[in-house]
Formats: sequence, C-alpha cells, structure tokens
Amino acid sequence: MFMTDYKIAIEVDARGSFCPGPMMELIKAIRQAEVGEMLSLLSEDEGTRNDVPAWINKAKHELVELINEDGYDRYIVKKLH
Amino acid sequence: MQRIVIIGGGFSGINVANKIAMKGKRKDISIILIEPREHNVYEPHYLFWSFNKDPLKKFTVPLRKVLKKGVQHIPAVATKIDKKNKSIDLSNGETISYDYLVLATGARMAEEQVDSYDKDNIHHFYLTKATEELQVALKNFNGGTIVISPSTVPYKCPPAPIEFAFLVDRYLRKRKIRDKSTIKFLYPLLRPYPEARVAEKVKELYDKRGIEFVEFFNYESIDKENNKVISLEGDEIEYDLLILIPPHEGHKVIIEAGLGDREGFVPTDRFTLKVKDHDKMYAIGDGTNLPVSKSGAVSHFSAPTVAKNILLEIEGKEPTAKYNGFTICFVVTSPRRSMLLFFSYKYPPKKFGLHNLFIYGFFKKAFKIAYFKALLKGYL
Repeated sequence: MFMTDYKIAIEVDARGSFCPGPMMELIKAIRQAEVGEMLSLLSEDEGTRNDVPAWINKAKHELVELINEDGYDRYIVKKLH
Repeated sequence: MQRIVIIGGGFSGINVANKIAMKGKRKDISIILIEPREHNVYEPHYLFWSFNKDPLKKFTVPLRKVLKKGVQHIPAVATKIDKKNKSIDLSNGETISYDYLVLATGARMAEEQVDSYDKDNIHHFYLTKATEELQVALKNFNGGTIVISPSTVPYKCPPAPIEFAFLVDRYLRKRKIRDKSTIKFLYPLLRPYPEARVAEKVKELYDKRGIEFVEFFNYESIDKENNKVISLEGDEIEYDLLILIPPHEGHKVIIEAGLGDREGFVPTDRFTLKVKDHDKMYAIGDGTNLPVSKSGAVSHFSAPTVAKNILLEIEGKEPTAKYNGFTICFVVTSPRRSMLLFFSYKYPPKKFGLHNLFIYGFFKKAFKIAYFKALLKGYL
C-alpha cells in the first residue's frame, strides 16, 4: 500500500528530535485523535525504531505500517480505543 | 538609546540582563527587567528541600543583590504584550515600550490540570508551597507505597523525579521504615531515562536499592477514592503517597499575545534564539520550545547568545551568534553521589561521569554557591 492510500488525521513531524521526542509527540497526537483515526509519525531517530512499536503494542494500538523513506521513517499508527 | 525589556526574572532573565549590562555600552542602551518577585530562588534545591526544613532564605537571594548596575527592575507582572506598538502593559497600571524584547517567562506549573493535589497524599516539589507541604507529608509517612511519576513531558530538570526516588530511598532507610515501604517509579518510556546507557545504570542502582520501575506509564488520571494513579496505557498503580510532577505550559501573557505554540511555549530559532517570525524579539529558558531539556544549565549556556545577538543588532550588524544546544546535567543518585551527563543538538546525552562519583555529588551541592556568586551575576 502506498502512503497516499492512508487517510491521515494527524501527521507528526519529529525529524531532528532525539528519543524520547518522537515517541512523546506520538503520544500527544494519540491523545488528540479520535478512535479509528490514522496518524503518521516521521522520525529519523534510530532509538525510536525500537521504542515506538513497543509502546504501540503495550498501549494496544496498531502499527499499520513502518515505511522507510529517504533518510527517515514513517510510522502509520491507528488509534484503536 | 535602545530599550531592552526582559519579561521574567528567573535565572534566564537575570542572566541575560546582567550579561547585556556587562557587555553593552551604557550610553546606548537601557535594560528593564519585569519580574513581580523581589527574590530569586535556586530551584534545583527544592529536590533536597523536600527532605529537610532549611529556612527558605538559605537558597534565595534578593534581586537587588544580583542585578548589575544599569538593570532597572520593575516589580510587576507583564499582563499584555502589544507586538504591533511594541509595548507591554503591567499589573501596576503602567505601559512601557521596548525596542528589543526578551521573553524569559519560564514554564507555568499547571497544577489545576491535575486538580488533585492535596495536603494528604498527592504532592510535588516544583514550587515553594508545594514542597513545604511535601515536607510535612514525608514526615508523617510511616510506611506504605510511595509512587513517583511525571504527569506530562516536557518538565523542568528531566532527572528530578528519578533523583527523588534515590533520595526518598535514603530518607526512608534513615528513618528505619524502608522495610515497611515500597517505592515505585513510573516513567513514559521503556527505560527509566531517555538515553540507554544512563537508563541501564539507573536501573542497576534501582534494582540494588529495591526501587521498582514501571515502564510505559503515561499519566492519565487519578482515582482518589481508591488511591490509584491510572495511565493512558491502562495500568493502575496504588499509592499511599503520590509524587506527581505537575504539567508544564507557557504563561497566559505569551498565549494571549499569540506568541506560544499549542502548549504556550515560544517557537524559538534553536541557534539564534530569535522568536520565530518576529524581529528584535528573543526567547530563552523554560518558556521556549527548544528541543533541549528545560533546565538552568541550558539557560546558562544559551544566555551569551541572546545577549550577543541583541548587542550585534543594536550595532546594526547581523545577529550571527549561535547556541549549539550544549548543556550538562547531574543525576543525583544519593545525597552524596551524582552522575554527570553532557549533550547538544548534535548528539543525544553522552555519559561523562557515569561512575556515580562522590565528586559529582559534591559539585551538585557546591553548585548553589556558584549559582549565587557567579552565574546569576553573569560572570561565567
């Protein structure tokens, strides 16, 4: 699936920020989003690759896709509850 | 004559005012510092003050004793910033104009958002009155579960709640009630500090001292009836004494002037420290949105950039001074020991004194002397 196929409610650009910046930005966005909405998180921090999927799993949301873009990662997250 | 007005007389505001007074030509500039309080408090001491009752004056200083000649202090609150007319309304009814403005307003402790702080069992150590109440609560604590948690990020001095856990462990041992007590440290991340190697060391020390670490706990609410703190992730933790770091946000005067982001922090160029999209306006300290920790060390290392850029602009030159994000941080692990970290925009926290040395503990305490004698006065 291409990025353009997702209907993104909130996009968080956390590039240039080290851990825990990207994850905390995602958590803030999750708090704002409605249940069922998709979020997109952009991060170039390597630590985030471990932390964000682990947090999504713990918080029982869904990591729909992790896309490796040019020089950064794009996390597509769905708020489940 | 160019008038430089600084809103906020915490460490950042005082430091910038003094640095400009020392470096600027007195005939060319006037410096006004707007700050309602007549004293400056050495805020890092609140952490230690939670456990003793030293008089407040041991870690406060009157502003008149630290402000350089050439800095005029107006003891009032800035109630409105008029960007168009370059003026500021004050709580004493005056309106003053400015040529250059420095926003050093700090972070506001939004205690009302928690709405549960009380004299019984929910406390924090980020304000004078709150810390005094915590002193009493700790004295009255005779065993049970102490839970420590941030409410949101960012908050001032990232290691402070981690340090509190170490110090409360020592305090309970001294009172011989540690065996009747449980200490739990809740944190939003997978580990007890953002940087993995530091987190590993903290975890090792926590395990050694029997401090329980709860990962991925993002504070959501409190169930006061059942003494439980609840996370966004759905965990519920029971407490007898809850230490909850208050939410931080920008001040009303910043938000109402349209100078804040979603949380009221001032969007600030991370290098020049100019307020984004505003000429002749700078921001420093805890009230900015800089991607560094909210701490006095950041203020200390960034103040020369603000002072230099304003003086360059006054001379008709480009404000070319840049702050590289460098700062340091002590992590207290006992009343006598600390770890020292340093970091900048270019690299995440690097361990420097991860050996938990006595000497760093000494530095952290001795720092109070350096703060009042040199840093506030703009000497270093």
